Amino acid sequence: MARYHSLRDFDWPMFLIVLVICGLGILQIFSATYDTATWHDAWWKQMIYIGAGILLMWIVSLIDYHTLMGQVPAMYIIAVVLLLAVLVIGKSAFGSQRWILLPGGVHLQVSEFAKLVIILLVARFMTELRGDVLELKDLLKIAGLILVPMLLIAKEPDLGTALTYLPILMIGVALAGLRWQYWATIGLVFVLIVPVAYFSLKDYQKARLVSFLDPDRDPLGSGYQVNQSKIAVGAGGMWGKGVTKGSQTQLRFLPVPHTDFIFSAFAEEHGFVGVMVALSLYFILLMQIVQNAQTSTDRAGMYICMGVAALLLFHLLVNVGMVVGRMPVTGIPLPLMSYGGSSIWSVFLMLGLVNNVRLRRFVN
Amino acid sequence: MDAGARLRAVKRLTWLVGAIVLWGVAIFLKLISLQLIHHKKYLAMARQQQEMKVELPAARGNIYDRNGQPLAMSLPVDSVSVNPRRVPNLSIASEVLASILNIDREELAGRLQNAVELKKGFLWVKRKIRPAESERLKSLHLDWIDFHPESSRTYPAGPVASHVLGMLYVEEDEERGAAGIEKALDSELRGHAGTERLLTDVHRRGLDSQISLAAQAGKSITLTIDEAIQFTAEKYLRLAVESNHASTGSIVAMNPNSGEVYAMANYPTYDPNLPPSKNEPPGARLNLGASVPFEPGSVFKVVTLSAALETTNIRPDTIINCGSGAMNFFGRVVHEAKHGYGSISMADVLAHSSNIGAIQIGLKVGEKNLLDYVHRFGFGSKSGVPLPAEASGRVRKLERWTKTSIASVAMGQEISTTTLQLARACSVIANGGLLVKPRLVLKDGDIAQQYEQPVRVIRPETAITMRQMMEGVVIKPFGTGFHLPRISGYSFGGKTGSAQIYDVASHHYTHLYNASFMGFAPVNNPSIVVVVTVNGSKGFGAPVAGPAFSAVMAEALRVMDVPKDLPETIDPKSDDQKMLLAKAATRADADNAADAVMGDESSPQPNILEEEDTVPSMATAAAVTIPVAQVIIPKKPEGSQAPNFRGKTMRAVMEEATELGLRIMVAGSGVARQQVPPPGSILQPGEAIRVQFAR
Repeated sequence: MARYHSLRDFDWPMFLIVLVICGLGILQIFSATYDTATWHDAWWKQMIYIGAGILLMWIVSLIDYHTLMGQVPAMYIIAVVLLLAVLVIGKSAFGSQRWILLPGGVHLQVSEFAKLVIILLVARFMTELRGDVLELKDLLKIAGLILVPMLLIAKEPDLGTALTYLPILMIGVALAGLRWQYWATIGLVFVLIVPVAYFSLKDYQKARLVSFLDPDRDPLGSGYQVNQSKIAVGAGGMWGKGVTKGSQTQLRFLPVPHTDFIFSAFAEEHGFVGVMVALSLYFILLMQIVQNAQTSTDRAGMYICMGVAALLLFHLLVNVGMVVGRMPVTGIPLPLMSYGGSSIWSVFLMLGLVNNVRLRRFVN
Repeated sequence: MDAGARLRAVKRLTWLVGAIVLWGVAIFLKLISLQLIHHKKYLAMARQQQEMKVELPAARGNIYDRNGQPLAMSLPVDSVSVNPRRVPNLSIASEVLASILNIDREELAGRLQNAVELKKGFLWVKRKIRPAESERLKSLHLDWIDFHPESSRTYPAGPVASHVLGMLYVEEDEERGAAGIEKALDSELRGHAGTERLLTDVHRRGLDSQISLAAQAGKSITLTIDEAIQFTAEKYLRLAVESNHASTGSIVAMNPNSGEVYAMANYPTYDPNLPPSKNEPPGARLNLGASVPFEPGSVFKVVTLSAALETTNIRPDTIINCGSGAMNFFGRVVHEAKHGYGSISMADVLAHSSNIGAIQIGLKVGEKNLLDYVHRFGFGSKSGVPLPAEASGRVRKLERWTKTSIASVAMGQEISTTTLQLARACSVIANGGLLVKPRLVLKDGDIAQQYEQPVRVIRPETAITMRQMMEGVVIKPFGTGFHLPRISGYSFGGKTGSAQIYDVASHHYTHLYNASFMGFAPVNNPSIVVVVTVNGSKGFGAPVAGPAFSAVMAEALRVMDVPKDLPETIDPKSDDQKMLLAKAATRADADNAADAVMGDESSPQPNILEEEDTVPSMATAAAVTIPVAQVIIPKKPEGSQAPNFRGKTMRAVMEEATELGLRIMVAGSGVARQQVPPPGSILQPGEAIRVQFAR
């Protein structure tokens, strides 16, 4: 399937938006960390990650996604093995074990890369369906396949990242079509599972949920992060306090202002206007991906693009929701803005897949 | 992908998209709520947690004496705090701090631990450390130790004027006046604390500070107290109390015209630099002179006699029958201190301090008038001096007077007064009849304190007559104050008091006395009033309180540069002076008069003629230029010759007259100017010589 792909066919608008979002992220990382002892060089590290990410995106978009889909079983097995490896030999930090230390000092968060495998897995699974709609056994089958890595990740524990796999499945199922009786059954099962699941949560996870529902209960303890985040966002006001002028960020009241709570720091320093600009950029990016899904020549391409869109949207809603106090604290980074190689690379790889689909939209 | 499939897919997605849109809208609304609607609230919350308000203590105002000598000062010192959350190692930290600051290590470690557990970002380690401690601690360069400039009160003069100054105590980390001026003028002295906004990070590290309200230093107070007079008063008071084995004492020296208190001394005393301790004598921190009333005794006769001058026809020369030394008054037997005086003039009643005479005069005055004058002289009410806990003393209402009360009050019993009140009463006599308000504050900040118009309470003539009679107390040889040490260059008058101390438990008067002396100088135009009270002495007023009076008065006259009204003399009791007097007495002719003057010039103190005060030279000139009057008349064996008193002091005249057994009548004060009959004339037996004194 060697085909000539013009550089012109590359999704330049999407790339441009991505660069702008990344730029905002770098600026915010700089602003939040420039006078810290340990993170002051994070902003240019982030630039290197992004540079590498662009390269990865380019490479991924060159390999035909059909070829990639052909390797899904192998990739799935590798992913599961690596996730197991994380649990066995992984490096732990902040009370959970999420990283594999690669030679050269790079910490790799396997769960981030496993997302790609899941996207490809869902895309392949859904395209290989025989019927018009999804049958129950198919649903259970794909759910089971996704549940294995999810459980492994939840075991790290990193429930937040584990949950990001669900929207990929959901969009796949929704696009494939499922009888409403099944939706109802799933809903029912979900409602029944919630209380059971609650008791299987770790203490800190319970505390996060409780403090999400009642943030003022323990403002200095579990509710601290959300409260500080809300204060930062609220203090930003309409126009924000300006770069490096956000006192919540600069005085370290805001926890991890360069990673999970970067949007909070951004909102404080750039205000409502800045937030609207950033969210609009994300919206345009998502629309661009959805458009690529629509222009895809086959169902596989559509599933891939929609999977990416769903995943990014989920990240966005959960992260921003968390920042403003509408979601519990889950530790899900904001795509393209939060500092961190694994997160950046997984997003760029996903965008590479989207581009991959776009480059192959013209069928002879 | 065909269009139909896509349509179905879109249809299926509608629900999903709807849910997502709802979710997005919820976030969007929350953003609006946070950033636009409740922006100010969150901004305030941010500021509240980011800014730490640190109180900037205001420096307490200094207290100066009337010449600007500091009596109380606030010196900058450091206080030490730590941020417990930044302390790297609690046990090492408490070890280091405790050893340098001399505090208990265990206790500090406990406080630190507690603060860490409570997540406190601030803990005082020790307030107001010594400069050496501060230096040592600073030399360690530990960034978790914070220093705060504060001020510490010191009293550079130590115990001088301690009772006037008072002391401080610390409540809620704030210095407050506990007594004296420190308490009375606490609000002026304290100033207003400022606030500093400290921008702090989450670990309470101060990043930036901004003084939002500068501390306003307290006002400085300038007292009317003169440090030198105060020092002298304290020194001689201590001497008087200790040498007479008395228990307590107080001295007030004041200006009778302006009410300015120059000295207010108490014994026992204390050092306000030191905290109260158990080793101190009880009541050491009490301002006895203003706060503890006592029965005044004979000094109070001044009030009785003033009332008599104003309300009865009794004059200084009116003869009062003082009987044989004991008097039965409604069953109460009143004794004189020594013996009966028979019939003597009112002036002599005062000089002798005759109790019976005072009672007789008091009876003439009557209860109502006497009580009126007691009030007029300011007894029974606070003087209004700016000191906390001033006592008003006790004056019984007329309804509560018993039959014998008038007798008691007339001689200063059944009444209680403070030394300060006595000084005010004496000032009435001294200033010509005005009740002044004693003042302790000369300047409040830069503003000179207004002096209140005093109230006239007795006629000027009365005051002048009283002055002369009170001078008699110290110049009449039988006067109770005759043996008081003289004050070189000044005439003075006063009244002794030796009140037996009433023992409340046994309802009897004891054999201990409140020995007192109140007086003024110079007699004609008094500039200083001094009252000395020594409580619990075995001796009488004059010998116990007298020396302190003279010493303080002399010092006050010197410091205040009061013009001298008498030639400066060597102690008149000294032999050469007596010789001079004898010479003057025997050589009563013109040539001899010139000799006497020449003799004066060759005396050890020839500078009397060069004194700025012209009175002595005028007096001497008079003696020289009136040779005409010195007619030599042959001696008659029956009578004696009138000596030449002219140019002599009242005291010298008195002494000479006593020696020669002459009766004299004096008028005015200063030096003798005229005498009738003139010098050299033969006196009829019993004939009195009238001597007019003037300055």
